Amino acid sequence: MTIDDDSDLAGRLAALEAQAPATAAPPTLPTRRRRGRFAISMAMAPVLVLVIVATAAAGAAVVANLAQGHPGIQNPGQPMAGVHMECMTPPDAAAALAVHGFKDVVWQIEGGDPNRKDSTTSTQRPTPPEHGFVIPGSLLDDGSVIMVVDQRIGATGVGDCFGSPMP
Amino acid sequence: MTSADVMAAVRADRSAATEGDPGAFEAAVRPHYAPLIRRLVLVLGDPHDAEDIAQDAYLAAFRSWDRFDGVDVRAWLYTIGLRLAFNHKRGRKRWLAAIGRMESRTWADPPDPDLWAALATLDPRTRSALLLNVLDGYTHAEVAGMLAVPEGTVASWISRGRTALRKELDPGP
Repeated sequence: MTIDDDSDLAGRLAALEAQAPATAAPPTLPTRRRRGRFAISMAMAPVLVLVIVATAAAGAAVVANLAQGHPGIQNPGQPMAGVHMECMTPPDAAAALAVHGFKDVVWQIEGGDPNRKDSTTSTQRPTPPEHGFVIPGSLLDDGSVIMVVDQRIGATGVGDCFGSPMP
Repeated sequence: MTSADVMAAVRADRSAATEGDPGAFEAAVRPHYAPLIRRLVLVLGDPHDAEDIAQDAYLAAFRSWDRFDGVDVRAWLYTIGLRLAFNHKRGRKRWLAAIGRMESRTWADPPDPDLWAALATLDPRTRSALLLNVLDGYTHAEVAGMLAVPEGTVASWISRGRTALRKELDPGP
Protein backbone atom coordinates (compact mmCIF):
# COMPACT_ATOMS: atom_id res chain seq x y z
CA MET A 1 0.00 0.00 0.00
CA THR A 2 1.42 3.40 -0.97
CA ILE A 3 0.54 7.07 -0.54
CA ASP A 4 0.14 9.16 -3.63
CA ASP A 5 -0.44 12.62 -2.16
CA ASP A 6 -1.24 14.51 1.03
CA SER A 7 -4.95 13.83 0.81
CA ASP A 8 -4.28 10.13 0.66
CA LEU A 9 -2.00 10.43 3.68
CA ALA A 10 -4.58 12.50 5.55
CA GLY A 11 -7.31 10.00 4.74
CA ARG A 12 -5.28 7.04 5.93
CA LEU A 13 -4.19 8.84 9.08
CA ALA A 14 -7.77 9.85 9.83
CA ALA A 15 -8.97 6.30 9.33
CA LEU A 16 -6.23 4.96 11.56
CA GLU A 17 -6.92 7.46 14.31
CA ALA A 18 -10.66 6.92 14.13
CA GLN A 19 -10.20 3.25 14.93
CA ALA A 20 -7.68 3.73 17.71
CA PRO A 21 -9.02 2.39 21.01
CA ALA A 22 -10.57 5.02 23.25
CA THR A 23 -13.06 3.44 25.58
CA ALA A 24 -12.18 5.09 28.87
CA ALA A 25 -14.52 7.71 30.28
CA PRO A 26 -13.10 11.00 31.53
CA PRO A 27 -12.05 11.03 35.17
CA THR A 28 -14.37 12.40 37.81
CA LEU A 29 -13.66 16.04 38.38
CA PRO A 30 -12.86 17.23 41.87
CA THR A 31 -15.46 19.54 43.36
CA ARG A 32 -14.66 22.18 45.91
CA ARG A 33 -16.91 22.71 48.92
CA ARG A 34 -15.89 26.30 49.38
CA ARG A 35 -18.67 27.40 51.67
CA GLY A 36 -18.23 24.54 54.11
CA ARG A 37 -14.52 25.02 54.40
CA PHE A 38 -14.90 28.74 54.71
CA ALA A 39 -17.47 28.32 57.48
CA ILE A 40 -15.15 26.02 59.42
CA SER A 41 -12.29 28.46 58.96
CA MET A 42 -14.39 31.33 60.29
CA ALA A 43 -15.47 29.30 63.31
CA MET A 44 -11.90 28.39 64.06
CA ALA A 45 -10.59 31.93 63.73
CA PRO A 46 -11.02 32.96 67.42
CA VAL A 47 -9.43 29.71 68.55
CA LEU A 48 -6.51 30.25 66.20
CA VAL A 49 -6.03 33.80 67.48
CA LEU A 50 -5.97 32.52 71.07
CA VAL A 51 -3.48 29.82 70.18
CA ILE A 52 -1.22 32.34 68.44
CA VAL A 53 -1.36 34.78 71.36
CA ALA A 54 -0.71 32.05 73.93
CA THR A 55 2.18 30.67 71.91
CA ALA A 56 3.72 34.11 71.54
CA ALA A 57 3.40 34.84 75.25
CA ALA A 58 4.85 31.49 76.27
CA GLY A 59 7.66 31.87 73.79
CA ALA A 60 8.50 35.33 75.05
CA ALA A 61 8.65 34.04 78.63
CA VAL A 62 10.95 31.19 77.66
CA VAL A 63 13.21 33.46 75.64
CA ALA A 64 13.33 36.02 78.46
CA ASN A 65 14.52 33.33 80.86
CA LEU A 66 17.05 31.97 78.41
CA ALA A 67 18.35 35.36 77.48
CA GLN A 68 20.06 35.95 80.81
CA GLY A 69 23.51 35.62 79.37
CA HIS A 70 26.64 35.42 81.45
CA PRO A 71 29.84 37.10 80.30
CA GLY A 72 32.78 34.99 79.26
CA ILE A 73 35.40 35.28 81.96
CA GLN A 74 38.10 36.14 79.42
CA ASN A 75 35.96 38.64 77.49
CA PRO A 76 37.34 42.18 77.14
CA GLY A 77 36.70 44.02 80.39
CA GLN A 78 36.33 40.84 82.43
CA PRO A 79 38.82 39.91 85.20
CA MET A 80 40.62 37.17 83.24
CA ALA A 81 40.83 39.02 79.90
CA GLY A 82 44.15 38.33 78.19
CA VAL A 83 45.20 35.54 80.57
CA HIS A 84 44.81 32.88 77.89
CA MET A 85 43.76 30.05 80.13
CA GLU A 86 42.99 28.04 76.99
CA CYS A 87 46.74 27.45 76.68
CA MET A 88 47.16 26.19 80.25
CA THR A 89 46.69 22.80 81.82
CA PRO A 90 43.54 22.63 83.93
CA PRO A 91 45.52 22.83 87.23
CA ASP A 92 47.40 25.89 85.95
CA ALA A 93 44.12 27.50 84.92
CA ALA A 94 42.73 26.79 88.39
CA ALA A 95 45.78 28.45 89.92
CA ALA A 96 45.39 31.47 87.68
CA LEU A 97 41.74 31.77 88.68
CA ALA A 98 42.70 31.50 92.34
CA VAL A 99 45.23 34.31 91.94
CA HIS A 100 42.37 36.51 90.71
CA GLY A 101 40.16 35.53 93.61
CA PHE A 102 38.00 32.93 91.92
CA LYS A 103 37.91 29.97 94.23
CA ASP A 104 34.34 28.81 93.58
CA VAL A 105 34.89 27.07 90.26
CA VAL A 106 32.84 24.30 88.68
CA TRP A 107 34.86 22.17 86.26
CA GLN A 108 32.74 20.64 83.55
CA ILE A 109 34.59 17.79 81.85
CA GLU A 110 33.55 16.67 78.38
CA GLY A 111 34.82 13.22 77.37
CA GLY A 112 34.23 10.30 75.01
CA ASP A 113 34.10 9.98 71.25
CA PRO A 114 31.86 12.55 69.52
CA ASN A 115 31.82 10.43 66.37
CA ARG A 116 30.11 7.50 68.08
CA LYS A 117 26.49 7.64 69.11
CA ASP A 118 25.84 7.95 72.85
CA SER A 119 29.51 7.71 73.71
CA THR A 120 30.19 11.21 75.01
CA THR A 121 30.13 12.11 78.70
CA SER A 122 29.73 15.37 80.60
CA THR A 123 30.49 15.58 84.31
CA GLN A 124 30.95 18.43 86.75
CA ARG A 125 33.21 18.57 89.78
CA PRO A 126 34.84 21.21 92.02
CA THR A 127 38.43 20.32 91.20
CA PRO A 128 40.23 20.52 87.89
CA PRO A 129 41.28 17.36 86.02
CA GLU A 130 44.95 16.77 85.26
CA HIS A 131 44.70 17.19 81.48
CA GLY A 132 42.49 18.37 78.67
CA PHE A 133 41.89 21.52 76.67
CA VAL A 134 40.69 24.33 78.89
CA ILE A 135 37.78 26.29 77.49
CA PRO A 136 37.35 29.45 79.54
CA GLY A 137 33.76 29.57 80.69
CA SER A 138 31.36 32.05 82.21
CA LEU A 139 31.26 34.23 85.26
CA LEU A 140 27.93 33.67 87.00
CA ASP A 141 25.91 36.19 88.95
CA ASP A 142 26.96 34.73 92.32
CA GLY A 143 30.65 35.18 91.51
CA SER A 144 31.25 31.53 90.73
CA VAL A 145 32.87 30.39 87.50
CA ILE A 146 32.14 27.52 85.13
CA MET A 147 35.16 26.20 83.27
CA VAL A 148 34.99 23.53 80.60
CA VAL A 149 37.71 20.96 79.97
CA ASP A 150 37.49 19.18 76.64
CA GLN A 151 38.92 15.66 76.81
CA ARG A 152 36.95 14.25 73.89
CA ILE A 153 38.66 12.22 71.18
CA GLY A 154 39.66 14.60 68.42
CA ALA A 155 39.36 17.72 70.58
CA THR A 156 41.23 20.68 69.09
CA GLY A 157 41.30 23.33 71.76
CA VAL A 158 40.22 26.92 71.25
CA GLY A 159 41.60 30.43 70.85
CA ASP A 160 45.37 30.90 70.72
CA CYS A 161 45.99 27.20 71.38
CA PHE A 162 43.66 25.83 68.73
CA GLY A 163 45.30 22.80 67.16
CA SER A 164 48.08 22.43 69.70
CA PRO A 165 48.62 19.10 71.52
CA MET A 166 46.17 18.37 74.31
CA PRO A 167 47.71 19.46 77.64
CA MET B 1 -26.01 22.70 21.61
CA THR B 2 -23.78 24.07 18.86
CA SER B 3 -20.09 24.75 19.22
CA ALA B 4 -20.84 28.46 19.38
CA ASP B 5 -23.31 27.86 22.21
CA VAL B 6 -20.77 25.79 24.08
CA MET B 7 -18.09 28.43 23.71
CA ALA B 8 -20.50 31.13 24.85
CA ALA B 9 -21.19 29.04 27.93
CA VAL B 10 -17.47 28.59 28.41
CA ARG B 11 -16.86 32.31 28.42
CA ALA B 12 -19.76 32.99 30.74
CA ASP B 13 -19.25 30.18 33.22
CA ARG B 14 -15.52 29.61 33.30
CA SER B 15 -15.04 31.14 36.69
CA ALA B 16 -18.03 29.27 38.10
CA ALA B 17 -16.57 26.00 36.83
CA THR B 18 -13.29 26.50 38.61
CA GLU B 19 -15.10 27.30 41.84
CA GLY B 20 -16.93 24.03 42.06
CA ASP B 21 -19.35 23.80 39.12
CA PRO B 22 -17.72 21.65 36.45
CA GLY B 23 -20.75 21.82 34.13
CA ALA B 24 -19.36 24.34 31.67
CA PHE B 25 -15.98 22.66 31.61
CA GLU B 26 -17.46 19.26 30.88
CA ALA B 27 -19.76 20.64 28.19
CA ALA B 28 -16.81 22.18 26.39
CA VAL B 29 -14.03 19.67 26.98
CA ARG B 30 -15.66 16.24 27.32
CA PRO B 31 -16.45 15.91 23.57
CA HIS B 32 -12.72 16.16 22.89
CA TYR B 33 -11.70 13.55 25.46
CA ALA B 34 -12.03 10.42 23.30
CA PRO B 35 -10.38 12.13 20.30
CA LEU B 36 -7.52 13.13 22.59
CA ILE B 37 -7.04 9.49 23.63
CA ARG B 38 -6.99 8.41 19.97
CA ARG B 39 -4.50 11.12 19.12
CA LEU B 40 -2.29 10.07 22.01
CA VAL B 41 -2.46 6.45 20.86
CA LEU B 42 -0.94 7.56 17.57
CA VAL B 43 1.64 9.76 19.27
CA LEU B 44 2.68 7.39 22.07
CA GLY B 45 1.98 4.09 20.34
CA ASP B 46 0.60 2.63 23.56
CA PRO B 47 -3.17 2.72 24.22
CA HIS B 48 -2.73 2.27 27.98
CA ASP B 49 -0.31 5.17 28.24
CA ALA B 50 -2.61 7.21 26.03
CA GLU B 51 -5.52 6.73 28.42
CA ASP B 52 -3.36 7.60 31.44
CA ILE B 53 -2.04 10.76 29.83
CA ALA B 54 -5.51 11.77 28.63
CA GLN B 55 -6.82 11.47 32.19
CA ASP B 56 -3.99 13.61 33.51
CA ALA B 57 -4.56 16.15 30.73
CA TYR B 58 -8.29 16.33 31.47
CA LEU B 59 -7.67 17.02 35.15
CA ALA B 60 -4.89 19.50 34.38
CA ALA B 61 -7.20 21.28 31.96
CA PHE B 62 -9.88 21.51 34.64
CA ARG B 63 -7.41 22.95 37.14
CA SER B 64 -6.34 25.63 34.67
CA TRP B 65 -9.79 26.23 33.19
CA ASP B 66 -9.81 29.83 34.34
CA ARG B 67 -6.70 30.49 32.23
CA PHE B 68 -8.22 29.12 29.00
CA ASP B 69 -8.62 31.95 26.47
CA GLY B 70 -11.92 30.57 25.19
CA VAL B 71 -10.83 30.33 21.56
CA ASP B 72 -10.12 26.72 20.56
CA VAL B 73 -10.82 24.20 23.28
CA ARG B 74 -9.57 21.24 21.23
CA ALA B 75 -6.23 22.90 20.53
CA TRP B 76 -5.95 23.83 24.19
CA LEU B 77 -6.67 20.29 25.41
CA TYR B 78 -4.39 18.74 22.81
CA THR B 79 -1.61 21.14 23.81
CA ILE B 80 -1.85 20.03 27.44
CA GLY B 81 -2.09 16.37 26.48
CA LEU B 82 0.80 16.40 24.02
CA ARG B 83 3.12 18.25 26.36
CA LEU B 84 2.31 15.75 29.12
CA ALA B 85 2.90 12.95 26.62
CA PHE B 86 6.36 14.23 25.70
CA ASN B 87 7.35 14.47 29.37
CA HIS B 88 5.89 11.03 29.99
CA LYS B 89 7.76 9.58 27.03
CA ARG B 90 11.06 10.89 28.35
CA GLY B 91 10.38 9.55 31.85
CA ARG B 92 9.19 6.17 30.54
CA LYS B 93 12.27 5.81 28.34
CA ARG B 94 14.51 6.38 31.36
CA TRP B 95 12.45 3.95 33.43
CA LEU B 96 12.49 1.21 30.80
CA ALA B 97 16.23 1.66 30.37
CA ALA B 98 16.68 1.45 34.14
CA ILE B 99 14.92 -1.91 34.35
CA GLY B 100 16.65 -3.20 31.24
CA ARG B 101 13.57 -3.15 29.02
CA MET B 102 13.40 -1.13 25.85
CA GLU B 103 10.17 -2.45 24.39
CA SER B 104 6.82 -0.81 25.11
CA ARG B 105 3.24 -2.03 24.87
CA THR B 106 1.68 -1.19 21.55
CA TRP B 107 -1.64 -1.22 19.74
CA ALA B 108 -2.05 -4.93 19.05
CA ASP B 109 -4.22 -4.87 15.93
CA PRO B 110 -4.09 -1.60 14.00
CA PRO B 111 -6.35 -1.46 10.92
CA ASP B 112 -3.53 -0.11 8.73
CA PRO B 113 -0.44 -1.99 9.89
CA ASP B 114 1.82 -0.47 7.22
CA LEU B 115 0.94 3.09 8.21
CA TRP B 116 1.15 2.19 11.91
CA ALA B 117 4.63 0.75 11.39
CA ALA B 118 5.67 3.77 9.34
CA LEU B 119 4.44 6.14 12.04
CA ALA B 120 6.46 4.21 14.59
CA THR B 121 9.64 5.21 12.78
CA LEU B 122 8.97 8.88 13.61
CA ASP B 123 9.71 10.40 16.99
CA PRO B 124 6.66 11.53 19.00
CA ARG B 125 7.18 15.25 18.35
CA THR B 126 7.42 14.77 14.61
CA ARG B 127 4.36 12.52 14.72
CA SER B 128 2.44 15.15 16.70
CA ALA B 129 3.37 18.00 14.39
CA LEU B 130 2.49 15.98 11.31
CA LEU B 131 -0.90 14.93 12.71
CA LEU B 132 -1.79 18.45 13.87
CA ASN B 133 -0.94 19.79 10.44
CA VAL B 134 -2.18 17.06 8.10
CA LEU B 135 -5.20 15.84 10.07
CA ASP B 136 -6.34 18.92 11.97
CA GLY B 137 -5.25 21.58 9.53
CA TYR B 138 -3.34 23.71 12.00
CA THR B 139 -0.74 25.98 10.43
CA HIS B 140 2.94 25.66 11.17
CA ALA B 141 2.70 28.73 13.40
CA GLU B 142 -0.22 27.25 15.33
CA VAL B 143 1.54 23.91 15.76
CA ALA B 144 4.66 25.76 16.89
CA GLY B 145 2.61 27.50 19.58
CA MET B 146 1.03 24.25 20.73
CA LEU B 147 4.30 22.35 20.93
CA ALA B 148 6.30 25.32 22.24
CA VAL B 149 8.98 25.15 19.54
CA PRO B 150 10.03 27.59 16.79
CA GLU B 151 7.99 27.62 13.58
CA GLY B 152 11.03 26.59 11.53
CA THR B 153 11.42 23.50 13.67
CA VAL B 154 7.81 22.54 13.04
CA ALA B 155 8.27 23.02 9.29
CA SER B 156 11.33 20.82 9.40
CA TRP B 157 9.58 18.11 11.43
CA ILE B 158 6.58 18.03 9.11
CA SER B 159 8.71 17.91 6.01
CA ARG B 160 10.91 15.15 7.38
CA GLY B 161 7.86 13.28 8.65
CA ARG B 162 6.17 13.32 5.27
CA THR B 163 9.35 12.20 3.54
CA ALA B 164 9.90 9.40 6.03
CA LEU B 165 6.32 8.16 5.71
CA ARG B 166 6.52 8.18 1.94
CA LYS B 167 9.78 6.27 2.07
CA GLU B 168 8.37 3.69 4.46
CA LEU B 169 5.09 3.26 2.62
CA ASP B 170 6.41 3.45 -0.92
CA PRO B 171 9.95 2.11 -0.86
CA GLY B 172 10.07 1.94 -4.67
CA PRO B 173 11.50 -0.73 -6.90
